[in-house]
Amino acid sequence: MAATYDAIVVGSGACGGWAAMELAKAGMKVLMLEAGSHIDPAKDFHHTFLYQMEYRGQAKPGALRRYAGSERNYRIMLDSSENPYTTAPGTVYNWGRSRVLGGRTLHWARASDRMADYEFKAASRDGYGMDWAVSYADMKPYYDRVEGFIGVSAAKEGLPQFPDGVFLPPMPLNCAETIFTAACKSLGWRSTHRRLAQLTRMHNNRPPCHYCGNCVNGCDVGAMFNTVAVTLPPALKTGNVEVRTDTVVAQVRMNNENRAQGVTYIERNTMKSVDVDAKYVVLAASTLENTRLMLLSAKDGLANSSGTLGHYMMDQVGGGGVTGILPKLKGGPSRLDDGKSAGISIPNFQNIDKKTARKDFIRGYVINATGGQSEYPQFASALPGYGSAWKKEVKSRYVAQARVWIAGGEMLSQKENRVELDPEVKDRWGIPVLKIHFTHSDNDRKLIADFQEKADELFKKAGGEAMPGMGRGGPTGFPGAPGSPDVGPGAGGQGGRQGGGPGGGRGAREGAVGGRALGSSIHEVGTARMSASPKDGVLNSFCQTHDVPNLYVFGGNAFPSTGDKHPTLTMMALSARGCDHLLEQAKGKKA
Amino acid sequence: MNLTPAGYIVFGMLPTRRELVDLAVRAAALPGAAEFFAAWLRAAQEHQHGSGSSGFTAPPEPLLLRDYQPKFFAPDDFEALQSFTEILIPTDDTPGAREARCAHYIDFLMQASGDAPQTQNGWRDAMKALQEAGFHAADAKGRAALVEAMSQPERDRTATHPAYSAYRLIKQQNTFAFYTSRAGMIGALEYKGNSYNASFPACTHPEHHTV
Repeated sequence: MAATYDAIVVGSGACGGWAAMELAKAGMKVLMLEAGSHIDPAKDFHHTFLYQMEYRGQAKPGALRRYAGSERNYRIMLDSSENPYTTAPGTVYNWGRSRVLGGRTLHWARASDRMADYEFKAASRDGYGMDWAVSYADMKPYYDRVEGFIGVSAAKEGLPQFPDGVFLPPMPLNCAETIFTAACKSLGWRSTHRRLAQLTRMHNNRPPCHYCGNCVNGCDVGAMFNTVAVTLPPALKTGNVEVRTDTVVAQVRMNNENRAQGVTYIERNTMKSVDVDAKYVVLAASTLENTRLMLLSAKDGLANSSGTLGHYMMDQVGGGGVTGILPKLKGGPSRLDDGKSAGISIPNFQNIDKKTARKDFIRGYVINATGGQSEYPQFASALPGYGSAWKKEVKSRYVAQARVWIAGGEMLSQKENRVELDPEVKDRWGIPVLKIHFTHSDNDRKLIADFQEKADELFKKAGGEAMPGMGRGGPTGFPGAPGSPDVGPGAGGQGGRQGGGPGGGRGAREGAVGGRALGSSIHEVGTARMSASPKDGVLNSFCQTHDVPNLYVFGGNAFPSTGDKHPTLTMMALSARGCDHLLEQAKGKKA
Repeated sequence: MNLTPAGYIVFGMLPTRRELVDLAVRAAALPGAAEFFAAWLRAAQEHQHGSGSSGFTAPPEPLLLRDYQPKFFAPDDFEALQSFTEILIPTDDTPGAREARCAHYIDFLMQASGDAPQTQNGWRDAMKALQEAGFHAADAKGRAALVEAMSQPERDRTATHPAYSAYRLIKQQNTFAFYTSRAGMIGALEYKGNSYNASFPACTHPEHHTV
């Protein structure tokens, strides 16, 4: 039977956008399916000041919160009442999702670090888990290709655990970052500009960043990498891509020859079920949604001869950190400190070889730090006093805010951390939802405890005074409203240790573990890991399923371990490598 | 790492004339983007002319509060609240709660809080506590003294005051109302973000390069 399309790409995020572009450029007829709605940056993304919104960035008081995010960016998030998921007893997991054209690329943190061989081959070094089926040498050309296309601003450092790439000039450091850099030098730690998929000059006909600091609300000009501004336009220009938004894919349909025939989707608004066929099916609907689709598509899960589908779910470890002020900056003039939404990165320097091996834990983490002016002085209502003196003190501290946070704490893979289909709960379209089983290991706790020590050390070296509630982030809920506890005087008296991640609202806390909260980082990976042998995983090194030759899975699914880098760049490089493989396969034989 | 001299990076960030022309062409081609590029180009050009500022002006406040009539608080409570917010955040060399119309905004929020009866009740209790503490009846001097007394537990954990939680509630909501207003965010704090800039201002302070 003749397939209608050469390839169906499910999802339009970082990986879906890349796949659609690559396959279409190579001449394939591609159908891109996106469960969320269409979005037009020129029309839908603006610079909006808090005071321009009735509820100043909050939901209406007492309104049921259906969306993550704020009044400014909920449209590029997801309606959680339509898209529930469940968790097993003992699991606290905050699955941060988007359903919109472009997915999470519209508001991601843009951090783009390459993984290194000490991460790909960590199991060989310390004996835990499984090596990746690729090495840095396999990945390097694809990192080059992706970085070269999307534009990454960064400085070269020559560190093997933090491989350099094809970089645009880095963004300058603000005052707080300069002080933290000096503190790192004094501690003997290497640090660098955070590596960001955010342009510092014209690149591929896209304008440079204008430093508004609005990244999480959608970039109005496409200076930060996102699908709608970067990969979709050239994909559409080929004339080979058809995009259908508001299409909720319900399953991959198989034929009698053990090949994917196509997919079935449900129109989001009409509830109509539609079948589409293609020679290749590429799942790029986000890590956990990809796995959900495979679980929905066959009795024991599609492409699951290894029995590992759904297992080995990971997320990078979040939590801890320090907020406060840098007294050196107190009382200074207001500056555009948060205009780039960035900071510095301190690459992992432990457990990278025998010399740096720790006895108490394995793997590592990257530290980030920044500071200065922010949109809203989160700390102000907790600052005792009132009147002109209080106002002056608020302003004085406002420009001196500082924070240190964990950027990519490696979480160990464990088979029992997994997703399955919930036997009872279904989404708005009648599709069974995921049930998540997710807990941290002792090693995760030791790693975050070590990070906290280092974060405190860095903050102290920078001359910082720890205080709660400092740093970036908009107002968090109406004071006095249910669910926004009074931060009374002396509350948070343990100093400025910050739970959750940067930006506020990020990462669920697992509850204090040994007096310390662990969180997630919206870096969920695993659940269909790559393996050299079909016995050990779902995907091969090209993100093709071992069992179904015309089914590819792009996203974080393939990760056998998290590493300590933000995952998106690696997911995209894996997608680029997978596209090459798919095109080779297509050339070699007619489907 | 290689610490590039900050000034060099700033210079390197500036768009070339060619890039500005490219941008202008794009501005014409993109519907809805013309306004952005006009502002961006202005920022870029002003920067090149050495002004160093983006020349960007934050947009005006919406009309919501301009002629707003209180709906939630009774007139005497509203007067007391207004006075309280202005003691907490006075007008001095920068705008205060008065210019930000904080009491009006709090009333707006509360009248919109029908689905949050606990919040509304909390505010009714707070106004009652102020009344009982004698705030409504007091003159300006008396009110200042009352706020001082109510705020004591913030600094002294052994101190107590029957209207302390009313003080905290008003302070919190007032802080939110003020620093999310144009008067607070732009007028008092001089927030620089959300603007169009040709470059990111690097740290230029030698004293920040050492700890």
